[in-house]
Amino acid sequence: MIARAIFWGALALLPLMVKTDFVLTIFIYAFIFGILGVTFDLVFGFTGQLSMFHPAVFGVSAYMTHLLVVNAKLPFWLATLPAAATAVVLSIVVGGICFKFRLKTFYFAVVTLAFSEMARLIVMNWNSVTNGTLGLVVSGKPTIWWPGAGVVAIKGPVAWYYLTLVWLAATVFVCARVLRSWMGRAFGAIRLNEDLARTLGINVFRYKLVSFALGSALASFAGGLYGYYTGYIDPGYLGINQSMEVLAMVLLGGQGTLTGPIVGSLVLTGLPHVIDLRAEARAILYGAILIFTILVMPRGIVGTLRAWRARRAA
Amino acid sequence: MTQLVLGQVLNGAIVGSMYGIIALGITLTFGITGIVNFALGEFMMIGAYATFALAERGGLPYPVAVVPAACIAAAAGYLCNKAFFRFTRGNLVNGLLVSIGLISVFESAVLWYWSATPIEMHYVLPGAIRLGDVTLPKMKLLVFAVIVVVIVLTYVGLARTWLGRASFAYAQNAEAATLMGVHTERLVTAVMLYSTGLAGLGGALYASLYSLEPALGGVYVLKGMEAAILGGIGSLMGSLWGGVILGVIEAVGSIFLPTAFRDAYGLVVLVAILLFRPSGLFGDET
Repeated sequence: MIARAIFWGALALLPLMVKTDFVLTIFIYAFIFGILGVTFDLVFGFTGQLSMFHPAVFGVSAYMTHLLVVNAKLPFWLATLPAAATAVVLSIVVGGICFKFRLKTFYFAVVTLAFSEMARLIVMNWNSVTNGTLGLVVSGKPTIWWPGAGVVAIKGPVAWYYLTLVWLAATVFVCARVLRSWMGRAFGAIRLNEDLARTLGINVFRYKLVSFALGSALASFAGGLYGYYTGYIDPGYLGINQSMEVLAMVLLGGQGTLTGPIVGSLVLTGLPHVIDLRAEARAILYGAILIFTILVMPRGIVGTLRAWRARRAA
Repeated sequence: MTQLVLGQVLNGAIVGSMYGIIALGITLTFGITGIVNFALGEFMMIGAYATFALAERGGLPYPVAVVPAACIAAAAGYLCNKAFFRFTRGNLVNGLLVSIGLISVFESAVLWYWSATPIEMHYVLPGAIRLGDVTLPKMKLLVFAVIVVVIVLTYVGLARTWLGRASFAYAQNAEAATLMGVHTERLVTAVMLYSTGLAGLGGALYASLYSLEPALGGVYVLKGMEAAILGGIGSLMGSLWGGVILGVIEAVGSIFLPTAFRDAYGLVVLVAILLFRPSGLFGDET
């Protein structure tokens, strides 16, 4: 509890102490990927379903949000909602198919990956709407009503820092509430033993679908934010690499925890900037970290720290 | 039109046999050792680049270069097994994740050394055979023949020999197999060596037909995975059929439907088949 308060408090106060845009930018990226990581962990770490559909949700919602703002003239905030709704519909269709036919582990991963690839192909080839491989330039910025200043655009590192931090905190809050409810118990039961969960009267199909759809809905906001922050969207958002990076973050931080993915995202986003590496070396490092974590520290940073603390207390 | 379709069917079958050889490796490793080796495509890539290095830079004739190239891939597979996969046995997801990490490592390493520019080998076997109105390059036919022979030999080898029975026994019940005198450690190593060697051979053959780029492994392992699931995990001949069917669907699909979605046609069929026959076309019903 105290550790958690210190963690969030430190993040909230950071811009007061650190004034360099460089550091804040790293944190902004880490927060956005943190949202993605936490929601992925909801499906993978807490419900035990290795979904590869996350990048599709991320990319599709980034496109949807931007296109709704440009074509339907919606404000950014309003545009995130249809994007989230689309993410939910997509994941109910994909998840519904996979779970109805009881695809597990490896089969589930391959089929969700297949759907993700289909989404990427559609986005890449629907030139009239998405501009194909060239991608789209996102020029606007979300606006906010601020006391005393009226409606202002959110720009500059400090404003974005707080926007993404608040969003991340909200995502974690929602996930934490869900996980502490009866739904969270059902997710855990499914992860530990699906057949046993079924005999206990848990509707396995329904709760898997709830977890999958909820994870996608919350992840969709990360897509919208990321597109607007970087000012550029391309089909690479839906690529397998994206899946791999999020997976590495969650595993390194600690699967089955809510702070883990954030820690993992901070480390993996920060690392390449702290030690200057070329892109290839960075990818090698990602892979090596992934392998190392699984073999040596399967519970990740947060999981290992918790185990260590529990051992000391005992 | 008929000629076009017929030509595409043949072309698809040849590309599909490439998927088949990767699918065979996937089926073998998963069926026997229970490890999902998502990195098999990378061993194929290693085989392809090794062939290129040996034949173009080292000046070896192509047929001579194929064997050491496959051996290099198998050696890399041996090292990965000793260093990583050995520790992930019995945990499917961990094995999957380790191999995803390996993809990133291998692909970037090759990207670093060779850059992303596609490279091509000189023609190994020029000339083509005309079948009616369909022309087929000789090299493609040769590659197809080699792959079919390798897969059939593997099937016969496992169906008829003691080693095959030992493998099936191990797959069914590892403990019982140990009690019956199967060296499980050696068996698993052998399966890893063989599957990565096969992938390396696939890569060496690939190098004679198409241009090489570091990302080819990722593409082919996905196709191989699809082919293996399509044919039915655990079915050796199913992997060949799965690969050929997949290749033909893609090739024929892109005549009638937009070529841009080529990769999606196989996926649609795969998902459809998984829904109605979760064990694949040639897999056991259980």
